[in-house]
Amino acid sequence: MSLTRSTSADGAILTVQIKGKFDFNLVQSFRQAYADLNDNIDKVVIDLRETDYMDSSALGMLLNMKKNLTGKVETIQISNCQPQLKKILQISRFDKKFDID
Amino acid sequence: MLNILVVDDLALNRRLLTVMLEQQGYRVYSAENGLVALNLLEEHTIDIVLLDVIMPVMDGFETAAIIKERFSQVYLPIIFITSLEDEASFERCLAVGGDDFLHKPFQEVILNAKIKAHSRIRNLSQKAREQNLQLEYHQNQVEREHEIVEHIFNNALENQQSFPKHLDFHLSPAAMFNGDMFLVAQSPLGSLYCMLGDFTGHGLAAAVGALPASRVFYTMVSKGMSVSDIAAEINSVLGKLLPGHMFCAATIIELSSTGKSISAWLGGLPDTYIINQSGEVIRTLESQHMALGILEEDEFERALIHIEVEDTCRIVMATDGIIETTSPHDEYFGEHRFKKVLASKPAISTEQVLERVNKFARGSKQQDDLSLVLLNCLPMREPEQKSEPLSALPFNFSLSLNSKQIKSTDPVLEVVDVISKVAGLNAHRANIFLILSEAYNNALDHGVLGLDSEVKNQEDGFLIYYQQREEALANLTDALIIIDIRYCPEELALYFTVCDSGNGFSKEQANQQSLAREHGRGLCLLGEVASKVTFNSAGNQVEIYYQLTASSTSSH
Repeated sequence: MSLTRSTSADGAILTVQIKGKFDFNLVQSFRQAYADLNDNIDKVVIDLRETDYMDSSALGMLLNMKKNLTGKVETIQISNCQPQLKKILQISRFDKKFDID
Repeated sequence: MLNILVVDDLALNRRLLTVMLEQQGYRVYSAENGLVALNLLEEHTIDIVLLDVIMPVMDGFETAAIIKERFSQVYLPIIFITSLEDEASFERCLAVGGDDFLHKPFQEVILNAKIKAHSRIRNLSQKAREQNLQLEYHQNQVEREHEIVEHIFNNALENQQSFPKHLDFHLSPAAMFNGDMFLVAQSPLGSLYCMLGDFTGHGLAAAVGALPASRVFYTMVSKGMSVSDIAAEINSVLGKLLPGHMFCAATIIELSSTGKSISAWLGGLPDTYIINQSGEVIRTLESQHMALGILEEDEFERALIHIEVEDTCRIVMATDGIIETTSPHDEYFGEHRFKKVLASKPAISTEQVLERVNKFARGSKQQDDLSLVLLNCLPMREPEQKSEPLSALPFNFSLSLNSKQIKSTDPVLEVVDVISKVAGLNAHRANIFLILSEAYNNALDHGVLGLDSEVKNQEDGFLIYYQQREEALANLTDALIIIDIRYCPEELALYFTVCDSGNGFSKEQANQQSLAREHGRGLCLLGEVASKVTFNSAGNQVEIYYQLTASSTSSH
């Protein structure tokens, strides 16, 4: 379980990648990942390519992030979901609130 | 010491010459006719032959011809010693391979001078012969090396031909020896990864780097890892492995499974282009980083470029071969011509591009390391999921946690890992995790610790909630949570029971409303993923029934 953040070469996209499980243990580091966003950033990507597990606390954290970032960035994208996690996001109607790639 | 063979039918002549030459420090062999001379030549290494012309059994002419034929690899001088004076005889001496004449009677000084001159030539010839042998040896080595390189590359490059709709590429076998490498693979999530690399160095040296780089690439793509992780890992492997002056300029691209976005790491190759339907360059992606294998791990730059693309877009990658192709007038093909060719025709193929490049180079030295990749930004077909058949054995799993264990562990993932070992359950592990996580955390947070989720609604409520949870957990005594999991092969189902020593929610009637609303998200999700969720009347035990359908992702 770990969280890494990286900014694209042009500085416009922040990518937060979560490895292993995405649950309440990440509450603090996830909150910090988008805390002091540079003004150049207009898109935040939550990259779940290496996320194997998530539960409702992860959904809560994503919603908190959306609340916090609305108006600050143009798009919040959840990308590279594994099939079962995509299903969980769909069940929770996250496809209505986020751009899920 | 020089070995000289004296051939004369007259014993007196042989004796005279022998004495004379031995005085000069030469080793002398003598023969009374050509046949004997030929035998001696087979037995000993002779450096110079002094040959009489008229002899019984085999005369000088015949002997000279045979000697020249048999000992052709290193210059073996034949000096005719003769009393013949007619031109026809001289001519014949030369025609059969004689290298010099000496008239009888001759001066000793002249004979010595001739022997020295011819032995010098023989020495040179011997050296040339040795060098030729060495050259031949090295040539064989190089050929063998090339065979090995080809073998290595063929084994290192997998599934290059597996994506004909997406990829059109050209990579000549010669390009491999120039260190060009093209790797392709699809991740479990369906995205397509391509890597075009150009190693400094040639032949085996470059292949040495291609092997580990390709292994890392395939392994990491099969795990669906990000392009920056792949670049960082190849950089570190090559950095450790290759000598300082060797590295690999590379472009690594991931096309998402929808075909709508690309992520690229660009290190040291010429510009990558995105072209539209008519072949016009709509975006140029310039190299951002140093080539792979140069920077230390902590200096490595991972930044990617992310771009949204249309399904009519194509991505053009090339090594420097194309733009550096020169015309007979020493003019570079250059980026401008390259772009013009790309736009010369819709959906141009690599073959057509290279035809134009070769036409440009006509007459000048042929370029053979032209590597070119055209990637069509189309949606990918979903990769086939291998599904393991479900076990026929009815496994049971049971775990009781006391307060000490509850405090010091986060057991959900560990339990999931154990359950997933049962054949066929691994495919369901994300759902199993979700079910257990919701049930266990519900039992712990609301049952054992008696926390109220209401706080989550406040600003930064999540953080406050989990701080409260930590405090409550630290003070916990006398608690129990029991997890029971039953796998039922006949029903293709999993039964989860989680019960806790808490008060349940019957005693918290007043809070029930907020409780139900608040952890609503978790319970609601649980209800969707599982087929049935039931609480006992006390509210401290939940039973969950999960149907193991053929595919874990199939809809409800």
